[in-house]
Amino acid sequence: MPLQMLKRDTAEALTLEWFLHVRNYRLILDKNLCVGCQICTLACPKEAIKLEKQPKIQGEKAKHAKINIDLEICNFCGICDILCPYGAINVTVNGEHVLSVVEKESFPQLIRNIQADTSKCPVDCVECEEACPLDLIKVTRLTADGKVVEDIDSLTEKEKAELQVKIDIEKERCPCCRICEFKCPEAVMRVRKFFHGKMLIHPEKCPESCTDCLDVCPITGALFLSDKDKKVYVNEMFCVYCGACKVVCPVDEALELKRTKISHTPVRSGAWNKALERLASPIEMTKELKAKGSQKAMESVEKRLGWKAT
Amino acid sequence: MAQKEDETEESRIGVFICHCGLNIAGVLDIKELVEFAKTLPDVIYVKDNRYTCADPGQDEIRKAIKEYKLNRVIVAACSPRLHEPTFRRTVSEAGLNPFLFEMANIREFSSWCHPNTPKEATEKAKDLILMAIAKARLLRPLETMEVPVTNKALVIGGGIAGMNAALDLAEMEFKVYLLEKNESIGGHMAQLDKTFPTLDCSLCIEGPKMVDVGRHPNIEIIAYADLLSVSGYIGNFKVKIRKNPRYVIAENCTGCSECKDVCPIEYPNEWDIGLGVRKSISVPFDQAVPLVYTINKDYCIECYKCVDACGARQAINFDQQPEEIELEVGTIIVAIGYDIYLPYDNPLYGYGKYTNVITSLEFERLILAAGPTGGKVVRASDGQKPHSIAFIQCVGSRDINKYPYCSNFCCMYTLKHVIQLKEKYKEDIEVYVFYMDMRSNFKGYEEFYQRARELGVNFVQGRVSRVFEVPETKNLIIHAEDMALGQPIEVEAEMVVLATAAIPKKGTGEMARILNLTCGADGFFMESHPKLKPIDAPTDGIFLAGACQGPKDIPYSVSQGSGTASRAATVLSKPTWKIEPIIAVVDPDKCRNVTTKCGICAQKCPYGAIKAEEGKPAQVITAMCHGCGTCVAECPADAITQMHFTDAQIFTQIRAALKTNPEDKILAFLCNWCSYAGADLAGTSRFEYPPTIRPIRVMCSGRVDRDFVLEAFRLGAGMVMIGACHLPYDCHYINGNWKMKARMDALTPMLHKLGLSPERFRVEYISAAEGVKFAEVVREMTEQMLALGRDKIKAENEKLRPILEKMLKRKKII
Ligand SMILES: Cc1cc2nc3c(=O)[nH]c(=O)nc-3n(C[C@H](O)[C@H](O)[C@H](O)COP(=O)(O)OP(=O)(O)OC[C@H]3O[C@@H](n4cnc5c(N)ncnc54)[C@H](O)[C@@H]3O)c2cc1C
Ligand code: SF4
Ligand code: SF4
Repeated sequence: MPLQMLKRDTAEALTLEWFLHVRNYRLILDKNLCVGCQICTLACPKEAIKLEKQPKIQGEKAKHAKINIDLEICNFCGICDILCPYGAINVTVNGEHVLSVVEKESFPQLIRNIQADTSKCPVDCVECEEACPLDLIKVTRLTADGKVVEDIDSLTEKEKAELQVKIDIEKERCPCCRICEFKCPEAVMRVRKFFHGKMLIHPEKCPESCTDCLDVCPITGALFLSDKDKKVYVNEMFCVYCGACKVVCPVDEALELKRTKISHTPVRSGAWNKALERLASPIEMTKELKAKGSQKAMESVEKRLGWKAT
Repeated sequence: MAQKEDETEESRIGVFICHCGLNIAGVLDIKELVEFAKTLPDVIYVKDNRYTCADPGQDEIRKAIKEYKLNRVIVAACSPRLHEPTFRRTVSEAGLNPFLFEMANIREFSSWCHPNTPKEATEKAKDLILMAIAKARLLRPLETMEVPVTNKALVIGGGIAGMNAALDLAEMEFKVYLLEKNESIGGHMAQLDKTFPTLDCSLCIEGPKMVDVGRHPNIEIIAYADLLSVSGYIGNFKVKIRKNPRYVIAENCTGCSECKDVCPIEYPNEWDIGLGVRKSISVPFDQAVPLVYTINKDYCIECYKCVDACGARQAINFDQQPEEIELEVGTIIVAIGYDIYLPYDNPLYGYGKYTNVITSLEFERLILAAGPTGGKVVRASDGQKPHSIAFIQCVGSRDINKYPYCSNFCCMYTLKHVIQLKEKYKEDIEVYVFYMDMRSNFKGYEEFYQRARELGVNFVQGRVSRVFEVPETKNLIIHAEDMALGQPIEVEAEMVVLATAAIPKKGTGEMARILNLTCGADGFFMESHPKLKPIDAPTDGIFLAGACQGPKDIPYSVSQGSGTASRAATVLSKPTWKIEPIIAVVDPDKCRNVTTKCGICAQKCPYGAIKAEEGKPAQVITAMCHGCGTCVAECPADAITQMHFTDAQIFTQIRAALKTNPEDKILAFLCNWCSYAGADLAGTSRFEYPPTIRPIRVMCSGRVDRDFVLEAFRLGAGMVMIGACHLPYDCHYINGNWKMKARMDALTPMLHKLGLSPERFRVEYISAAEGVKFAEVVREMTEQMLALGRDKIKAENEKLRPILEKMLKRKKII
């Protein structure tokens, strides 16, 4: 069969595919998960991903930007899949989610450091489950012999005391906002962000009654509207530095977002350096280069940026 | 080109009239011819001999030249196509420039074709002698030019044809540059599994040859490169090539494949026709020559894993730039092969739509052990081995709506495929072949067909009308006409293989432009002559090998490769190359291109031999000019002269021919290669026709200026005829006949409007084999001339003359 390249765009998903006689490459962007944050467009080494801003309709909430991927350019490397904070992109080869760039250590993975010490969980607490803005946490209670208990109130205190709490988290989709950790009464949850940075809003620059950033922010509580001046403010505690807000902000300098560090598995890779440079800044990248001492990558940076990484 | 201007020199003409035994003397009155010649001005010496071409005859000429200080020699004898070279040598041995010699063809054109009218034949011979003498007065000495030859060759295309050409030349100790567009040489043959009719493994026999090419000290492979431009001419081509960046330094790459192993990126391998994948840094196939890896930057993510893997070898260089190089070569062999038609545009077969419909080339990659499926023939829809396969022949080929020609090797490779399947899967597979005719006409091919039939393959003769897919099973239903049963049939198969047409290689047109080659109606390169120069391109010093000239199988391509090597060696083995001096020269003072944008000559020259840069006079590149004279006839300012066939020389021939009784004569312009040869043949075959015609030889019908025709009618010619090679492809100068046709198509209606009877002017296409036709045409024209009658012709001429005079005066011709 001759090579077939397909692209399907539905309300639910954007699907790109290469069908070869003996192999099948597929990329699915789940539109329900995508928040239009722009990380993938910055990360894509081939610049195959474009952000399509949605026009603002007067009187309606702002809509997050949409993602479009050029089938002619995409090479199914899966770097967008790796870096999407929300796990909205899934790249498979012959149906399997095995990314060659990871296997060959040509690109690192994000470190989603999420720990839950369930031994400390009160059996009837579901704070984390309720707090998660993305519905990624499911709390279940098991009897000693592993049975799931549905109706906890029907149990005696003694039976309750023997229960074990299990917390399931869809980690690949978790942007690590730490809200669960904050809401947890017993310090069970421990979450470390993978994007670190700085986020600032200059309210004096914000247009009157504009809440576009707040409209699109997927993390409840990362942005909030002040009762006093009806302006939006940041709570950096929860901000994941994804940048969905920055994309829709109508004023150039009202919103300042800077990523300074990204937690990732160790790897020496030119592709990663480039991604880092674009997601964070050249400075962050050279810092990392120096730490890892990758000569080839350093040279390439010098050439590309025209200055010496000292 | 030396045309010595010694106009002041008086002509001292010697005329030698040959008896040719009784061949001439048996019909013509030689005495009368001698006496006639003696009366003509400038004729110093006249002699008749029994056999002028024999040694004593030649001796007489040489002696007379010395004794009588002859500076022009006429031999009235047989056809110049026969003995002109002989007599040119004779006169030059006596110190006369060979181009101061002229022949009067009184045998083929008179004694042999008018045996029963000796009186009229003798009159005709007189005219022929008169014409020759008239031309001789205006002849100028010419020098044959010699250009030095660069004894290196360029072969373009490293398929089996190009490789053979390169190897043969290299073995003859010539330096060869082998230019290949792809990363590796090998061509289509390197993609095949087995080869018919012996079923030996393709790469097993081609691989060693590829290695030989790679190792040969006289061959330099320039792979992954494009031809940019070619200038110059035979013996002296300048070639510009762009080497594309591989991002791998060829000298440092050891071909170890370690970079490939760490590279994370895969992309569809065009070598596998996109059936399988290759890495972003890789070779298209393991046996590639040169074995140098290439990074495909379209897919590479620049992770530099390969750089790490390559380590101390330091072969990878992401900053490599395209590099332009210039070569000088003496000859060029073109062997760029063919492409396969992909029938996406034909809904009949469902290619590209139905998963289990593939082309034969895809099938080759499937059944090949080193292919993407490891040699397993499996369906794309479910990865299962099919239990029945239908092969459909002539997809696109022999189809007047697509490619009317036969693609030559599809019958045979399908036989190969079905035999392979039957021998591999035996009873486990049912095979059908839908074909129009089975063409198996070379050594061992028919036996191969027999072998397929014995293996129980179902051969169905008939055109396939439609293929449908069964949506649930992805099987295919083939509707066809079974000619044996005389009724439509339906066959279900699990896979369909299409034997699609071989088509001109992408870029053939561009290559034709760069090398100034022509393509036929089928789009493949045209050879110089379909029978006698089947591997010569029309441009001197360029040769064609393999499937780029038309689909052909491996043995044929190999033979052509060797053939072109030997043709190229005829040039390369000489220190210099002689160029015939019968070429065109532009008079810069007359050329209009200096003041206005003209360049008509440059457009019309079939060989692209003229450069007409803005503001400068046009210039003929001597070594590229073939001397057809088309430009001379086309030039609106009469600024171009064709040596040895100048306007003045031809006008004087016209005037001599029509000096007496013009209204009883047919004046003819015959091209040297076809119609003149056809007229010769009429003579040698002794086809008798009326002695009314007075032929003037030109090299190409493209040389016939409209002014020649006008002058002939002004002088009162009864009839005028132009003889040319047949359209569309017979012209010896590619398309001079077409240029003449266009010119005369414009002139004819004008002549008619001025009152010329249509039958009095005609263009005839007569091949060298059509002696009969020539005689027929003369007979017919003579009858028409008689039917019109002298009076009518004279009356028409009277009416025409003042207008023609005005036209010719304006051009200062009279
Ligand atoms: C499915 C199939 C099966 C076949 N099986 C057989 C068989 O069993 N036996 C047999 O005898 N024949 C077979 N043939 C035919 C065989 O492929 C041809 O006879 C042979 O390949 C012709 O060789 P070539 O060198 O003329 O052309 P090609 O093999 O096409 O080689 C041309 C070369 O020129 C290069 N090139 C092209 N353009 C340029 C350019 N612009 N500049 C530089 N280089 C260029 C190409 O990259 C290539 O390397 C088969 C053909 C097909 C389609
Ligand atoms: S740099 Fe490019 S070619 Fe090299 S390993 Fe990475 S993807 Fe492959
Ligand atoms: S048209 Fe003919 S005569 Fe004129 S330059 Fe071209 S090849 Fe020579």
